[in-house]
Amino acid sequence: MNSAEELKYLLPASVISVGVQTNKPLAVIKKEDILQVAEKVKEMGFDNLSVITGVDREDRIEVIYNFFSYKKKQNLVLKAILDRTSPSIDSVVSFWKVADWLERETYDLVGIKFNGHPNLKRILLPEGWMGHPLRKDYDMSIEQFVTVGEDGEDIVSTDGSNLLRGE
Amino acid sequence: METETFLLNVGPVHPATHGVLRFKLRMDGETIRDCQIVVGYLHRGTEKLGEMKTYLQFIPYTDRLDYIAAMPNNYAYVRAVEELAGIEVPQRAEYIRVLVMELNRIINHLVMMGSLLLDLGGSTMIMYGFRERENALQLYESLCGARMTFNYIRPGGVREDLPDGFIPKLNEFIKDMEKRIVDYEELVNGNEIFLMRVKNIGVISAEEAINCGMTGPSMRGSGVDYDIRKEEPYSIYPDLDFKACMRREGDSLARYLVRLDEIRESMHILKQIVDAMPAGKNVNQKYGMAPNTGAPTAVTSYFPRIFTPPAGEVYCRIEAPKGELGFYVASDGTTKPYRVKIRSPSFCNLVALPKMVEGLKIADLIAVFGTIDIVLGDVDR
Repeated sequence: MNSAEELKYLLPASVISVGVQTNKPLAVIKKEDILQVAEKVKEMGFDNLSVITGVDREDRIEVIYNFFSYKKKQNLVLKAILDRTSPSIDSVVSFWKVADWLERETYDLVGIKFNGHPNLKRILLPEGWMGHPLRKDYDMSIEQFVTVGEDGEDIVSTDGSNLLRGE
Repeated sequence: METETFLLNVGPVHPATHGVLRFKLRMDGETIRDCQIVVGYLHRGTEKLGEMKTYLQFIPYTDRLDYIAAMPNNYAYVRAVEELAGIEVPQRAEYIRVLVMELNRIINHLVMMGSLLLDLGGSTMIMYGFRERENALQLYESLCGARMTFNYIRPGGVREDLPDGFIPKLNEFIKDMEKRIVDYEELVNGNEIFLMRVKNIGVISAEEAINCGMTGPSMRGSGVDYDIRKEEPYSIYPDLDFKACMRREGDSLARYLVRLDEIRESMHILKQIVDAMPAGKNVNQKYGMAPNTGAPTAVTSYFPRIFTPPAGEVYCRIEAPKGELGFYVASDGTTKPYRVKIRSPSFCNLVALPKMVEGLKIADLIAVFGTIDIVLGDVDR
C-alpha cells in the first residue's frame, strides 16, 4: 500500500481518488477537508512540505502539495480542485511553517486565497499589482510601472504617472 | 532603563545582502526583536516565461536562477522534461552531467565561504576562493564557451563532449584543491575571531529546520542526515561512493563546516568519475534530426528541438548545492510546457531566518545570513 492509498484508507470520506504524479503517489482530496487531511498527513510522518503549486486549468484551478517524509523516506502528493471564479482553500501554515511563503507565492502569482493565512500579501510582485500573472487569461499587453514611495511602499500605475516627480 | 524599540531598515542594496533583499528589523538597542524579510526585487517572471517558450528554449532561463551554480538548474529542469517525455540518456552523458554538477558544487561552496568571511571582515578567503574558482570557470569555458550561464545540459545528453585536455586539467584542479583546502582549514577553522562570530550563533533545531522547509547543507548542519543524492538517487549517484556530510550543532559554524566537508566529498566524486568515465556518445542520437549533410556537422543537430511530451505532470527534485531544487512541469501535449513551477532552495531556506536571528545582535544577522547561502536570482525567480 503506498502513502496515497494509506491516506484513503485512513480518511475515506476526504479522498476522492488516488493515482500517480509520475512515480509519486497522488491523492485527490476534497478542498473543504484540507485541514483534516493535513493533520492526518502530518501524523503519517510527512514532515517536509516541498512545494505548493497552483495550476490554472482554464475551467478549474488545481492546487498541488508535494510532501516528503524524512522518517519514512516516502513521497506523497495531494491535489485539490478549486472553483475558478473565486479559488480558495484553508491555509496549512499551522502544520508546516514553510507554507507561509509558499502560499503567499501561490496567492501572488496564481491568485488562490488561503483562508486563515496570517499574512496573505503579495510576496514577489509589488503590492497593488493588477492581476495574477500565471492565470491563463492574464493580459500581458498592459504595462505596469512600479516605484517606491516615501515610506518604502510600492506604487503601481498603468500610465507611468508615478514615475514623474511631484513638485 | 526604559527603552523603546525602533524599526531599522537594511537593504535592498546593502552589500551584505548579496543581492537585492530587504530586512525590516524591529530593534531593541542592538538586539533584534523581530525580523521581516522583503523579497521580489529581482522577480523576472521565469515561471511565466516557461509557459511561453518551447521545452528547449527555456533551458537558458534556468541558468539565470542560481547563477553561482547553474549546472544543477539546467539538470533539474532537463531531468523533469526527460521524465515527462521518456527520453533516454547515454551513460557517458550522465557521467559528464554529474561531473559538471559536482564541480559546480565546489565553486558554490567556495563562493559561500569567501563571502561569509568577507562579511565578517576577513577578506583573504574570498581572494583564495575566487582564485580556485577561476580555474574551474576556465574548465567550463573550454567545455561550453560560457563561464556562468552554461546552457549545457540538454534533453537527451549534454551539448558537447569533453574537449581535448579537459580531464588532465581537471586532475590538476583536483590536485590543487586538495592542497588548498588544507590551507583554508588552517586559515579559517582555528581562527579565534571567526569562531567567536559563528559558534553557538543562529542555532536551529532539526525539527524546526524541517518545519521551516530548510534543505541541503543548511539543514544537514542541524543534524538531519538526509541527502537526495543518497536517499532518492538519480543519474549515476547509486554507483558512486560518497557520504552525506552532517553536523549536529545546528549553529553557523556547523553549517560552514558541512560545506567544507562537501567540497572534499565532491572532489572524491570527481576522482571516481574521471576513473570510470565510459566511452560512448554525449547525446542520444535516437532523437532529433541527424545532420543532413554527409560530413560531420554540429553535434547540436542531434538534439530534439521541438518535441511534444504526452500530457501529464512531473515533480522532479535534485540536491543542488544550496538544497532541494525541484521543477514541476505540466504538459498538455503541445510543444510548450503548460506550467513550470520552480521550487528553489534559497526561497524556502529564507523562511527559517527570522527564527534564527531573533534575540541576536544586529551584527550577527549578517553572519547567520551568510551561512544560509542564498542567491537572490534563485529567491525571486
